[in-house]
Amino acid sequence: MAAEVDTKKRAQGEGDQGLIVKPMYTAARQFMKSLVRPSTIVYPFERLEDPKFRGEVRVASGKPIGVGEVWDNYRGVHALNINTCISCNLCAFSCPDLCIDMVTVPGGDPKHPKKCPEIDYGKCSYCGFCSDACPEGCLTMTTRYELSVTKRSDMVYSPQKMFDQFQRKLPMNPIRLARPANEDAILLDAPLCIGCNACSRDCPTNCITMLDIPKGTPKPGEKPAKRIWKEPVINDSDCVRCGTCISVCPKECLFWGTHT
Amino acid sequence: MSEMWINMGPQHPMTHGLWNLRVRIDGERILDVDPEMGYLHRGIEKISEDRHYNEVITLMDRTCYVAGIAWEHLYVQAAEKALGIAPTERSDWIRMMSEEFQRLASHIMWYAAFVQDLGLMSPFLYGMRDRDLILDLFQSYTGGRLTYEYMRVGGVRNDVPEGFTHRAREVLDWLEPRFVEYDRLCMGSDIFRRRCDDLGVLKANDCVRLGVTGPMLRSAGSKRDLRKDRPYSRYSQVEFDVATADSADVTGRYLVRMEEMRQSVRILRQVLDWLDSHPGPVLADHLPRWLGAPYAPIGREAYLLKRNYPKGVGLSAIEEPHGEACAYVVNEGGEHPYRVKFRSPVFANLSAAHHYLVGYHVADIPPIMGSVDVCVGEVDR
Repeated sequence: MAAEVDTKKRAQGEGDQGLIVKPMYTAARQFMKSLVRPSTIVYPFERLEDPKFRGEVRVASGKPIGVGEVWDNYRGVHALNINTCISCNLCAFSCPDLCIDMVTVPGGDPKHPKKCPEIDYGKCSYCGFCSDACPEGCLTMTTRYELSVTKRSDMVYSPQKMFDQFQRKLPMNPIRLARPANEDAILLDAPLCIGCNACSRDCPTNCITMLDIPKGTPKPGEKPAKRIWKEPVINDSDCVRCGTCISVCPKECLFWGTHT
Repeated sequence: MSEMWINMGPQHPMTHGLWNLRVRIDGERILDVDPEMGYLHRGIEKISEDRHYNEVITLMDRTCYVAGIAWEHLYVQAAEKALGIAPTERSDWIRMMSEEFQRLASHIMWYAAFVQDLGLMSPFLYGMRDRDLILDLFQSYTGGRLTYEYMRVGGVRNDVPEGFTHRAREVLDWLEPRFVEYDRLCMGSDIFRRRCDDLGVLKANDCVRLGVTGPMLRSAGSKRDLRKDRPYSRYSQVEFDVATADSADVTGRYLVRMEEMRQSVRILRQVLDWLDSHPGPVLADHLPRWLGAPYAPIGREAYLLKRNYPKGVGLSAIEEPHGEACAYVVNEGGEHPYRVKFRSPVFANLSAAHHYLVGYHVADIPPIMGSVDVCVGEVDR
């Protein structure tokens, strides 16, 4: 059981030295120490992440135990590399707070506008699911944690603003999740397909090609089908598994599954 | 009219959060109490029904803001049972380590807040200083200081970084002598003893009858600890003792928590040794993509229901820093849990307030309620 210290015994054993001299000596020692090395960081002007504080902030005993570091994997404001973003929507899909909107940014062609995430930090819970889901690693989280603004609309970070964060080259989360080895792939239920080209048109990585397939021979007494004889073929190594093709397919003929 | 009702709360330094204790007093005597909860209700159980299995984890950190990772552990265990997924061995040990670190942080936070309730300022500063070391450790491998979002169904997000076990041992080396310091500050103080001895007595059979668990039950002499009685995770593979006290009063709860911290350090040393010598994967293979992050949701519930996904229910119970918490997850197929239900230990501990408050003085309420270790986030959910 825990050690119980009896005050009376302590007072008798150590005498006045235990109750008066020692505390005063400790206080005086701490006072002198604080003159040499103040333990206060003058926050807005000095910051914990400054290199001079790295591993230098010590607790009262003077023992350095690494307190005061902002580790690289801290989840702060996002940084977005617009140039590598492929508009796959995965960040917006995986957001539990629905704080990510995909907004159009200049750079795409008129038929395929380029869309990048716009994050409302009023809703964001900094869970990091969006950066975990990003297949290209262009949406990451930086160590920046200062966000105070005076207007609500300033909490909404446009893609351009997050690109500015990216260009500031703040430390970013170094741990990226590896894609699972045997991921589900997108499969085609061929008899349902009408060859409408929607999946291939909207695929962010252009990994779907529409290939001609041989025309099936109608059974005797049956009219030849009117559909266009093209079928999507998906390049699994390029596919980022965003599911855009599944959601645009009008016939629900694409689905998740494993190749057998 | 010598009797009256007074409200302690919802904004009162004693409450540690938003709840209201209505007290009927006659002069200084407490005649009746009526705890009112619900000011912090966010409907976490209902919101969970609309989230993917992994997305619920973001809510778990908000359930209890001083023991977030323990609640993550609780939910993830239940969800894994419901989905029929087993975590990897290393991730299980990392989870256990996280939970013990969280127990340390939570108990130190309790120590700081409880002693400040008694009007002693310096233990508060000692406690907050030492808790920060643990939060820094948490940040170095989860990326968050309070809201970790670290565990995933089937494992944990990432492995601990290089050099982590070394840093963790340094923190433990630093913490162990601090417990002696805490004891000298409190148990060595006459004022502390006079304010806490024989206060808020709740005997073991009353605790069991009222569903009071955790340090409150153990302070009444009962050796009930889920880590020993029904070992989950890898607790059966580590050595530790269950901390108990006999006095069933505020001092007893203090002693139990102090001893639990020592036992946590003991467990952590064994876990860190294990982690050093057993590398391995931290996330299970063959995870279905409809779990949510890091996978993309597929967006068509109807399609998922067509496929024969395994259905099931999962029940898990852990010894949370405050007591015994329980989670129940129903998987009816599809991307979202059909129903999620939590049992909060503090809710039961608070609801029994009548039995350990009546008969004492009004000035005794802060030490007694402080010794319960109230975390309103999990009471109201």
